[in-house]
Amino acid sequence: MEKNHVFDQIPDYLDGNLNKSAKTAFEKHIHQCADCQKEMEEMKMLFNLFEEEVPTPSSRLRAKFESALEQEKTNQGRVVQMSGKKSSNWTGSALKIAASIALLVAAFQMGSLFQQRKVSDDIAQLQEETNQMKQTAMLSLMENQSASKRIQGVNYIEEFEQPDEAIIQALANRLLYDENDNVRMTAFEALANFSSSETVKNAFIEALGQEKNPSIQVAIIQALVQIQEKKAAEPMKKLLEKEDTQPFIKNQIRAVLPSIT
Amino acid sequence: MRKFTFILMALFMGTIAKAQNDYTKSLNGIQWVKIDSKTDIVVKTHSANELLIKSGPEVKTPDRAKGLKLVGEGGTDNTNVGFSVVQDGNTLIVYNLRKNKGAEIYLPASQNIAVKSTWNGDIEIEGFSGEIEADAQLNGSIKLMDVNGPVTANSLNGALEVVFGKVTQSSPISLYSTNGAVDVSLPSNTPANLALSTLNGNVYTDFDVQADDKDGLKSVLGRNINTSINGGGVKISMKSTNGNMYLRKK
Repeated sequence: MEKNHVFDQIPDYLDGNLNKSAKTAFEKHIHQCADCQKEMEEMKMLFNLFEEEVPTPSSRLRAKFESALEQEKTNQGRVVQMSGKKSSNWTGSALKIAASIALLVAAFQMGSLFQQRKVSDDIAQLQEETNQMKQTAMLSLMENQSASKRIQGVNYIEEFEQPDEAIIQALANRLLYDENDNVRMTAFEALANFSSSETVKNAFIEALGQEKNPSIQVAIIQALVQIQEKKAAEPMKKLLEKEDTQPFIKNQIRAVLPSIT
Repeated sequence: MRKFTFILMALFMGTIAKAQNDYTKSLNGIQWVKIDSKTDIVVKTHSANELLIKSGPEVKTPDRAKGLKLVGEGGTDNTNVGFSVVQDGNTLIVYNLRKNKGAEIYLPASQNIAVKSTWNGDIEIEGFSGEIEADAQLNGSIKLMDVNGPVTANSLNGALEVVFGKVTQSSPISLYSTNGAVDVSLPSNTPANLALSTLNGNVYTDFDVQADDKDGLKSVLGRNINTSINGGGVKISMKSTNGNMYLRKK
């Protein structure tokens, strides 16, 4: 009989879900089988426990919660009042405001300082770039087919406070090799402002040896005499010997030659 | 009917005669016309976009030269009017091969021209609005009438005379003479930066300019005047080494 335990039917029996014949068979078995009876008793206890343990909040609990909430609310209110009291201490808060303003200003100053440094860097870079552009424009103008444009290129020298070697060399080439007298003269005038440069001195001496235009000859002679350039004596003597040198150039050379030899 | 034939013949002869004295060449694609001459050269404007050389009715090749070509420094006569005309890229090079006859050359007013006189020839250019370069290398004078610039002109012994119309502001004007006078007329309202300098000559002008003697510095090149008129503008540089300088209001 033990083999026919009815454990699986216990929950259905307890819930009253078994039909009549099954119920009779079940009760009959329970009476005879101690195991099943015991099992049913335990399960019944468990079921009862479930039913008892579902808690429902009592009205007392609710009242307790309400009062706790009230308590908390009044505590909060007190904090607000305390801070209100502190604000009446105006020196302290003024100091705080001052400190925060100071902090703000300092931060602003720092920011603007960095900004400024960046801007001045940018300006320096821009200036460098415009100088480069000017130099390129100047050098390309000096190669133009039109003499007037080449003169314009030479005049660009006024834009540079300290022209670099490339510009000086380009001007020297104009003085030495340009086919147009006006361009050579303008190049000479531009270079005369930088007569302390060794490149310029050498260009003047070379130009004096080959220049045909008397106006440029006399200008170069005067510039070289003014900087007391000893090396100028040789090309001047050669000009004196030349037949086609203009008389006023010869007179000029005779007048200045003693001062540099 | 006979009369009509006669007129036709006369017209035909006229055309042939004209064709003998004139030379024309189209200026398509030409930026600069360079003229090189030992004798007097007059450059005037006309409305066609071509080069026209008029060597005058008195041109006569010697009988002995029949069937021969005139040869000179600039090449051989390929125009039948005593000129050699050669195109080099965008430049038309015009050589006057004769040494004793002047010529008139006609070009459109906007043409850029460079005229060089290598001996005694006087250069006369009138009415051009393009760029002008004039170089009288020895004894010739330069006379530029009613031009706008930019002008680059240089003379050795001859006078340099320039009368400007409205001055183009785009690029500098440079007028130098070694032994001749520099005589320039500008419209009185021309905006410009003037740089006038002479070594042994004097400067005369009715513009309001003053000699620049800042810091008591003595200029390397004698008397220098740097000044701006009418608020400043294009740079006009004038220099005479031994001649006088005249700057006039027009």
